[in-house]
Amino acid sequence: MVDEQERLLPIANVGRIMKQILPPSAKVSKEAKQTMQECATEFISFVTGEASDKCRKENRKTVNGDDICWALGALGFDNHADAIVRYLHKFRVAERDKAAQNKASCSRNSQDKDEEESSEDQQPHQQADVPSNSKLQVLEFSH
Amino acid sequence: MRQAGTYSGMVISGKTGPHLLPLARIKKIMKKSGEEVKMISGESPIVFSKACELFIKELTQRSWMVTIKGKTRTLSKEDVASAVLATDLFDFLLNLVSQSAPAPLHPKPPN
Repeated sequence: MVDEQERLLPIANVGRIMKQILPPSAKVSKEAKQTMQECATEFISFVTGEASDKCRKENRKTVNGDDICWALGALGFDNHADAIVRYLHKFRVAERDKAAQNKASCSRNSQDKDEEESSEDQQPHQQADVPSNSKLQVLEFSH
Repeated sequence: MRQAGTYSGMVISGKTGPHLLPLARIKKIMKKSGEEVKMISGESPIVFSKACELFIKELTQRSWMVTIKGKTRTLSKEDVASAVLATDLFDFLLNLVSQSAPAPLHPKPPN
């Protein structure tokens, strides 16, 4: 029996991301977190499907980061695509540096799998004070 | 329109980890998304961890807008459903949230 939770993103991680964007006094119901969990999982499937279609049409077997960025743009997540293209670029540069370092010191390269919710990461906290009546200026890409 | 810098300011820390979402789980979900998804590059789950983070934050913010209209401080699943209904971009989620959806606050205009 496949544990349903195994098919979804972990609720604790999802909840933590939600809290990052909400005011400190905000509460989130467990059901809301579950719904968000499902939505985010569906988001991955949805974008992956689009990216893999592209690969298939181009006779490529491997879905890569560029395909995901393309799919995000194609599906309307323009703002995300732009930011993520930059992120991907930075990631690739970092990977190149890492590979260069690893050559120097024999590969004891541990697999970087963060399975659990890790401790405080260094990402800046956007504790948005969400003003009651402001429009959603920040995220404006519905057509 | 939002400056890309604001997003990239969040995601570009010069480092690629730690990630807020487990990469192995993301990869599993990607593989389950379709028969034709066979091979996934190492960077794909990492890209997705950022994309999901942005997605979750956006949907959360939109949901919160609904929450505070109701003058409560608890974000409920109905608020999430309302946010999905109100946003064209999230149409792919309509089936998922349809069970939770209250009567729409603002009926969507036909396309």
